[in-house]
Amino acid sequence: MKSLKLSAPTLLLLPAIIVLAAVIVLPLLFSLYSSFTPFRLTKPETIWVLIGFRNYVTALTSYEFWTAFGRTVLLLTIALNAEMMLGLGLAMLVNKATHGQRLLRTLMMFPMMFSPVLVGFQFKFLFNDNVGFINNALQSLGLATNAIPWLIDGNLALFSIIVAEIWSSTSVFAILILAGLLAMPQEPIEAARVDGCTPWQTFRFVTWPYLMPFAFIAMTIRSLDVARAYDIVKIMTDGGPAKRTELLWTLIGRTAYSDGRMGFANAMAYISILLSILFTVYFFRKLAAARQQIGAEW
Amino acid sequence: MAPVTLKKLVKRYGNVDVVHGIDLEVKDREFIALVGPSGCGKSTTLRMIAGLEDISDGVIEIGGKPVNDLPPRARNISMVFQSYALYPHMTVRENMGFSLKIGKVAQSEIDARVNEAAQILDLGKYMDRRPSQLSGGQRQRVAMGRAIVRQPDVFLFDEPLSNLDAKLRTQVRTEIKRLHNKVQSTMIYVTHDQVEAMTLSDRIVIMRDGYIEQVGTPDEVFKRPATRFVAGFIGSPPMNLNEASVADGKLIFEGGQSLPLPAEFRNKVAAGDKVIFGLRPDDIYPTGHGLNSGEATDVHELELPVSITEPLGNETLLFVTMAEREWVSRMLNPRAIAGGEVVKFSFDLSQAHLFSPETGKTLRS
Repeated sequence: MKSLKLSAPTLLLLPAIIVLAAVIVLPLLFSLYSSFTPFRLTKPETIWVLIGFRNYVTALTSYEFWTAFGRTVLLLTIALNAEMMLGLGLAMLVNKATHGQRLLRTLMMFPMMFSPVLVGFQFKFLFNDNVGFINNALQSLGLATNAIPWLIDGNLALFSIIVAEIWSSTSVFAILILAGLLAMPQEPIEAARVDGCTPWQTFRFVTWPYLMPFAFIAMTIRSLDVARAYDIVKIMTDGGPAKRTELLWTLIGRTAYSDGRMGFANAMAYISILLSILFTVYFFRKLAAARQQIGAEW
Repeated sequence: MAPVTLKKLVKRYGNVDVVHGIDLEVKDREFIALVGPSGCGKSTTLRMIAGLEDISDGVIEIGGKPVNDLPPRARNISMVFQSYALYPHMTVRENMGFSLKIGKVAQSEIDARVNEAAQILDLGKYMDRRPSQLSGGQRQRVAMGRAIVRQPDVFLFDEPLSNLDAKLRTQVRTEIKRLHNKVQSTMIYVTHDQVEAMTLSDRIVIMRDGYIEQVGTPDEVFKRPATRFVAGFIGSPPMNLNEASVADGKLIFEGGQSLPLPAEFRNKVAAGDKVIFGLRPDDIYPTGHGLNSGEATDVHELELPVSITEPLGNETLLFVTMAEREWVSRMLNPRAIAGGEVVKFSFDLSQAHLFSPETGKTLRS
């Protein structure tokens, strides 16, 4: 019998390959397969029925899916832009601080240290229409007469979630942009001042182009984060009221585990992942362009 | 085109003064160099003229008008930085035209001025490149181009050659000189390199510890240094400076060796005075091997042992021991001299300097 001879590198990598295959590749393949079946958790035998692309067609033609998708993109757009503006402002302020900059930097990172689930609970309490701090404050200050149903009104609920999201993640932008500011050479800014720029023009034409790559790195990280947003929403509204805050992953989670329609949920998940990849590719392109523009050597 | 005047200019950080009320008048179209060791306040002074640093006290006038409260953009100046400070995201063309674009100058005018500057600096080939695609020398030329294009009243240079290698430095130095001849603007040039200061400027300002030591033409500061510091700072190798005491028409050095008191100083010092005696290496030479061997007027000859020789081809530096000190001598048309050999040296005392040991000021007055 001819013995099987493996080269040393293959042999040494084999344990890692086996583990990776067992915990990542096989489950992935299995979930991909199941997205082509009508698999329900309550009817295990349905895993063996192949239905081709029917789940994908259903998802792509489903009003519910597209609403959740649109809402996710809306949340992404509003939250990311707001976080970037606020993060930029925060970073520039901290950068100007002459005393206690280290302390400010540490304070700035506080929101990042909380679990999103806790942030969800915290804002659920803040926005509570009966005992919440915000209504209480508004009424005490005489800014509102009636309790505002923050988490119960369809539009306000999404707004409240966005606020929580921004609170917890603005510091990601602030930290990365501050890193950019600290790394930035001062001479081009001085040159711009001598060249006739007002402070705004200096920012617009010199500082901002330099910070762009840093902003795009933050964008890339955060777009992936927000696109899979689940925990804060799950805690604060659970997709409610009347599915008015349903996002892609709350919809997928509900379909998979509450409704037990695993095959269909997997199909939606794969579509969502494709979209996330597209976002990442988009921001990476932007990042590469911005880096090339400033002649970055990293 | 404008004169620049500094009146009692002070820069203070907290309680520490780094510039101590200096006065300086830079004439219209003059090329002036601020030179001194690091930390002497020359860059700070330049940055105050540019408006990049606040003025703690005193007045800066450009074109006869005080500019203390004007931001840099309102002073009509250009500055060339040590690190080039180009805008990394703009092409060479955009870098050079940027200030005009900000100033809302018509595009046709921008193009014309940028092209003219590009021609002066021979940058035509690189106009569409980014700074990261250029070498150090090219970047510095772009920075100069950016300054020229503005047609400013005053050009400020902050150690523009420090980041270049020796060969490029000489090349760009010549270009700066050519530029000054061509654009005829007031130029203020900061450097720690006395050779740059000597070769480029109409007048040199030598600074130390926030004070001005001397202002003068390159010839003046070289031939008639006002202080011991200037004497030691200008010239390479530096002037030989040694303590001596005056006695009976002689200068007595440590160890008893003596030189005649130079004629120029005979009635400036009295017997018993302590002085610092200074003589440049050019004025100490093996007899017959000097710069002005034939014409020197007040020559004193001494036989001295040579300790070390440094041949440079066209000349040789000799380290000579006299009065328990090493003196440097410059031998022109050198002949071979071995270490330890005793040679007859000429001391051209008409070129000698005496400084007060207390104040460091020249006793020539």
